[in-house]
Amino acid sequence: MIVNRRVAEIIIGAIPILMLLGLWEYLTVTKIAPPTLLPSPGAVFMRFVQLLGDSNFLGHAGVTLYRLFCGFGLAVIVGVGLGIAGVGSPLIGSLLRPVIRVLAPVPKIALYPAFMLTLGFDHASKIALVFADAMFPILLATYQGALAVDTKLVWSARAMGMSRTKALFTVVLTAALPSILTGCRIGLIISCIVVFLSEMISSTDGLGHLLVRAARNFQTVDMFVPIIAISALGLLLNAGFNALRTRLLRGFPEES
Amino acid sequence: MKSLTAIPGAPPLIACFCLLLGWELLARWIGLDSLPPAWETLKSLPAILKDPRSLYDILSSVRRMATGFALALAFAIPIGLLMGRSRKVAAFFNPFFMIIYPVPKAALMPIIMLWLGIGEASKTLVIFLGVSLPVIYHTYQGSKAVGEKLLWSGAAMGMTPLQRLFRIVLPAAMPEIMVGCRTGLVLALITMVTSEMIVRQAGIGNLLFNSLDLAQYEAVYATIIIVGVLGFVLDLIFEKLRGIVVGWADPVHQIAVGSA
Repeated sequence: MIVNRRVAEIIIGAIPILMLLGLWEYLTVTKIAPPTLLPSPGAVFMRFVQLLGDSNFLGHAGVTLYRLFCGFGLAVIVGVGLGIAGVGSPLIGSLLRPVIRVLAPVPKIALYPAFMLTLGFDHASKIALVFADAMFPILLATYQGALAVDTKLVWSARAMGMSRTKALFTVVLTAALPSILTGCRIGLIISCIVVFLSEMISSTDGLGHLLVRAARNFQTVDMFVPIIAISALGLLLNAGFNALRTRLLRGFPEES
Repeated sequence: MKSLTAIPGAPPLIACFCLLLGWELLARWIGLDSLPPAWETLKSLPAILKDPRSLYDILSSVRRMATGFALALAFAIPIGLLMGRSRKVAAFFNPFFMIIYPVPKAALMPIIMLWLGIGEASKTLVIFLGVSLPVIYHTYQGSKAVGEKLLWSGAAMGMTPLQRLFRIVLPAAMPEIMVGCRTGLVLALITMVTSEMIVRQAGIGNLLFNSLDLAQYEAVYATIIIVGVLGFVLDLIFEKLRGIVVGWADPVHQIAVGSA
């Protein structure tokens, strides 16, 4: 019964996606939209598959991935570190809160010109932007998660002779893990999007640059491929991260 | 003695001051041409705000943002409510939204410009796309969580389904909807700046890169400050609005960060 319902829901859920593809195909087949403006889904898909075997394309994708993971990795280290430190020390916490309050709603992408001016046009400025954008959700999630940890857990650990710092890293960090991982997942998707945008704004390589190059040459098919590639990458990373999360959180109470 | 941090609004101001001070010191220490000291940058702010051209750029950006945001709310809140109240509608839309969630909306700008031209329509559409998803998501979550007992009571008292939607579901979901709107507002600003930086044609994003190309570094940083202040002020206004509209609800701890 429940299985039937899930199958039905999957079928219902497939309808809008298929409808969109159908509309796209219809517009191209009937030539309502000229192929120079809207290539057929088949053409885009074939080009995507073809490029997946192209070493040049994979090189661009590799550059994008490198920037993504450097920025995201830094953001996780700094975000989790600062978040835990902010809970561990009231002084750091009271310093941190106003700074977050001011900086969190600021569109980090506006800092990109500043990064370009100070860090140059190569990897560093893009990594810095990814870091700045991904850090805040991770920091906030860590801070809020760590604040919500039951103080009794810390007291118990302290009563058993654990040092403050050790309790912070073994008890609080672990207990806040669900929240931290949620923050990281948001940060990961943001990194994925931001790295692509930064490459579109100014770059000579990477998937974002491929899109801009195609747009300049009016190669519509090649404009769709990088967008599909980065979105697929986002979905893949998200799924991978969810799998990792379930593994890490085995034994934690189920979170809604 | 009243502590300085107890004054409302003081901590963010102090934080701003510290950030500017840190910038000033860093700039003086590095001594790079492309990183002017904070004070020099602040001095160039009035010039930008007085220049009618740049002021026009900024205001037209803000207007587009407001239009895109308003359209997105008008579209997203009803869809979110429907999804929250009907399992079928939710099952219909959920996978679709999940797939388009990681698509960088501002990156669609070149394609949309092919179709709609370089005018207002494409710029507003991109902002609309960027804002819609989080608002739909939060409205969905909020209206899904409305207590069934409330609805049953309403039904028992003879309320029609439409009345229940407007008198029970909408108010009950309001706190969560406001969270979505707040995220959406930040996203509207991000999408606007990003898309303008990508196409470099009008608005704040263009202003940024124009000054960059002309090597007017103070102007670049001053524009960044304008965008930053805009983000902060919009968020602040929204927080106040939230307090007025749903002051009865607990302030929701949430992650008000997103990206286009």
